[in-house]
Amino acid sequence: MPLSCSQLSVFYGRRKALNSFNLDLKPGEIRALIGPNGSGKSTALQAIAGLITSHEGQVEINGKPAREMSRRTLAKQLAFLPQQPSAPDEMTVEQLVRQGRYPHVGLFRSYSSHDERAIEWALESTGLANLADRSLHELSGGERQRAWISAALAQEAQILLLDEPTSFLDIGFQVEVLNLVHRLSRERGVTIIIAIHDINQAISISDRISLLEKGHLLFDGEPDELAGSGLIEKVFRVRGNFVRIAPGSRPHFDIEFIRSQITVSPAGK
Amino acid sequence: MTVSAPVHRPSLFGPLLALLAMMVLVLVAAVFLGVADIPPGDVAAVLTGHGSDEARSIILDIRLPRIVTGILAGIHFAVAGLLLQTITRNPLADPSIMGISQGATLAVTVFLVFTVYISEPGSNTLAALPLAWLPAIGTLGGMAAGGLIYVLAFRLDLGPLRITLCGIAIGAVLHAAAIGLIAGWGSARIEILLEWLSGSLYARSWTHALFLVPFTIAGLAALPALRRSIDLLRFDPTVARSFGLSYRKQFSIVLLLSCALAASAVGAVGPIIFVGLVVPHLARFLVGRHFALVLPLTIALGAFIVTLGDLLGRLLGQAEEIPIGVITALFGVPVLIALLRKIP
Repeated sequence: MPLSCSQLSVFYGRRKALNSFNLDLKPGEIRALIGPNGSGKSTALQAIAGLITSHEGQVEINGKPAREMSRRTLAKQLAFLPQQPSAPDEMTVEQLVRQGRYPHVGLFRSYSSHDERAIEWALESTGLANLADRSLHELSGGERQRAWISAALAQEAQILLLDEPTSFLDIGFQVEVLNLVHRLSRERGVTIIIAIHDINQAISISDRISLLEKGHLLFDGEPDELAGSGLIEKVFRVRGNFVRIAPGSRPHFDIEFIRSQITVSPAGK
Repeated sequence: MTVSAPVHRPSLFGPLLALLAMMVLVLVAAVFLGVADIPPGDVAAVLTGHGSDEARSIILDIRLPRIVTGILAGIHFAVAGLLLQTITRNPLADPSIMGISQGATLAVTVFLVFTVYISEPGSNTLAALPLAWLPAIGTLGGMAAGGLIYVLAFRLDLGPLRITLCGIAIGAVLHAAAIGLIAGWGSARIEILLEWLSGSLYARSWTHALFLVPFTIAGLAALPALRRSIDLLRFDPTVARSFGLSYRKQFSIVLLLSCALAASAVGAVGPIIFVGLVVPHLARFLVGRHFALVLPLTIALGAFIVTLGDLLGRLLGQAEEIPIGVITALFGVPVLIALLRKIP
């Protein structure tokens, strides 16, 4: 099992931001992590990546406790992309992606041809080969987000944690990121956890879904089960129905909007 | 697929060569020009191992050690500034803003007050001042201030902006304490401290240069081993750590190195302000995105600017020379303002 965590708890002061979180991933699995704002998605990802201290429970990577690994050893096996990361202004795309090789080269070893190929591959996979020499601040939001994903890819880790990688992207780039995630999982066997807000994207891309609310794991199962559970409407305080657009397709959550019947006459009459 | 237009990137070779030529020129001028008028022929004679005793003494015992001390101190301030700006991710960080210079100042002041005033009350002779100890004492004081910043940064888990603000606050307190001590001190000996406080290369001897050399060598030797962590420390800790950096360890090493460089330089020549702040910006501005060149250029420019500043101070002031710290402040401000307009 590439990644498993058991009874993981994180406190922020006295508030329990994550409460006995359990997770077991199969190799190459895509796991969507969903939940309202402040439900503990980012906390869970950061605790798994060892970036914040978990006060209870433990994370195991390929059967070994992550707590005992050095940052470099961990980074070879697990890449984490935080929400809205920031980079030094004048850094170029290629320079950012190159940082992803740090766990492999360390402080002293020079870049081998394998390292250079990994950087090239990471740039090409995200469609950035042409923009490699651009400064990050010259890029659009979507391009910058892809540059960060590219840096995480350059780590060549078998586990990839993505914290809302599609936020702030237009729908075209969102789909591009999700396609890339799917390709990595199926073609390279990368195990992926993706925190994501869009329920339908979560359902259509993932093998399994974990649903968090106020730090508690409410649901852990396949997308079809989630559709039948009625939890989405309850947790997100919305009304809607799961529908199947085509036979055999995954369920699609159709939200009901409340449309006001009152219309105001235009200002100034 | 997005196709990017090829961006025109001017070659750096020409400007860098011109810079190198300028550096050599200033270095030569610094050796040949000075308050004492020595004909160029005599200077050349001294440099080749001949010349009169008087000329030899002026060139070999006064000008050369002064230039070498200045070069070393310039390198120290510039590299320390670059490192501090990197690890605090704050473009304003520099030894005198982060409290390191003030720590050194306070230590030197306290030391002078105790050794001179306490042991020989009433003595007003400058000769009694234990000047030889000043570099070491200043270094210790600067390192102590750096240690304080380190403790605050990690104990209170401060972000980059708050580390800088903390450094400013610590610096202000230490500075006030030093000024308070000076104010309550005998007037005759204030001069030596005032001269030191303004950052001066006056009467710096080979002893000062030799004091700095071990720090310079250790510092420059450590830099290649730290180049990758320096790149990664420019990111916020979450990102740097997920790229595999042992953030705290590397942060500590780089902070220790910058404190040692800055504190030893302050100890030897006093706080030469603005060099640590301006030089890294100037280097980044000149080489832009060629990351690998920023560090070597910072080193070169640090040496160059202090040599140039000291030469100007010696020539403009004539017998009453202007301390290098005053020159760097006067010229540093307009340069900084000009750079701020260009920096994205």
